[in-house]
Amino acid sequence: MEKRVDAMGMTCPKPVILAKKEMDKSQPGDVVIVQVDNEVATENLRKLANSQEADYEMKKLGDKHYEVKITVKKEGTSQGEKEPEYISCVPQGQKNTVVVISSDKMGEGDPELGEILIKGFIYSLTQLEKLPDTVLFYNKGAFLTCEGSPVLEDLKTLEKEGTKICTCGTCLDFYKMKEKLAVGTIVNMYVIVETQSKADLIIKP
Amino acid sequence: MREKKEKLVVSFLTTTQAMAAEKYCQKNQIPGRIIPLPSEISAECGIAWCTEPEEEERIRQVINDGGIQAKGIHRVYLYQ
Repeated sequence: MEKRVDAMGMTCPKPVILAKKEMDKSQPGDVVIVQVDNEVATENLRKLANSQEADYEMKKLGDKHYEVKITVKKEGTSQGEKEPEYISCVPQGQKNTVVVISSDKMGEGDPELGEILIKGFIYSLTQLEKLPDTVLFYNKGAFLTCEGSPVLEDLKTLEKEGTKICTCGTCLDFYKMKEKLAVGTIVNMYVIVETQSKADLIIKP
Repeated sequence: MREKKEKLVVSFLTTTQAMAAEKYCQKNQIPGRIIPLPSEISAECGIAWCTEPEEEERIRQVINDGGIQAKGIHRVYLYQ
């Protein structure tokens, strides 16, 4: 059976609660199609689907129009209208995200692999729907923002899109690379600490 | 506003194949770069070679000639 929920214009967490109500009344194989007008709602519906082990599909139909298709896999467990605790009504896009890079390699182990991984990590940052606000580089990480770094192009892309690229001045000084900095700005320890203390989310490779 | 563009992505069976392909392409001035394998493609190896769609013929030729070993060639939309 296919059920439709029109949650356009509804404020969070209403779309999820309505969708959950329909899912609770559903049998395995039933499909609940929810129309919403914002991305946060689709993200919450995805969490709802995950929590119920249901399949989730999302289509963007227009500028402010998303269609979410949830295929129910197990019989509904009615828990009333209580708001599930995984729902977040804060748009992800407003989170202040800071990436902290302390080495020119990712992880411990084979150095060649570590270099491939850090290249992949920084490239993947450019593929995020919401780019990080700041990327901090210190110690061996400072090599990544200097001439000869294999990730310069990606860092320049991030900078062009508004991400702040910050490298530790003490580190550049120590490694005698101040003249070689090729992207972003030089910062001191206060900025390194303050940026992280103001972050909602810190990502480390 | 950032836009996704169509890219040619070459997948591999092993990390060693991918690393060898990177070296081969750099040596032979074939444009492109190593990227983590995009989630929509499935292959044994998690890293891939990414280049422009116009390079498809050349890449196929190189694979046929045994210059690089690959698992598949895919087209994927990625942020520039």
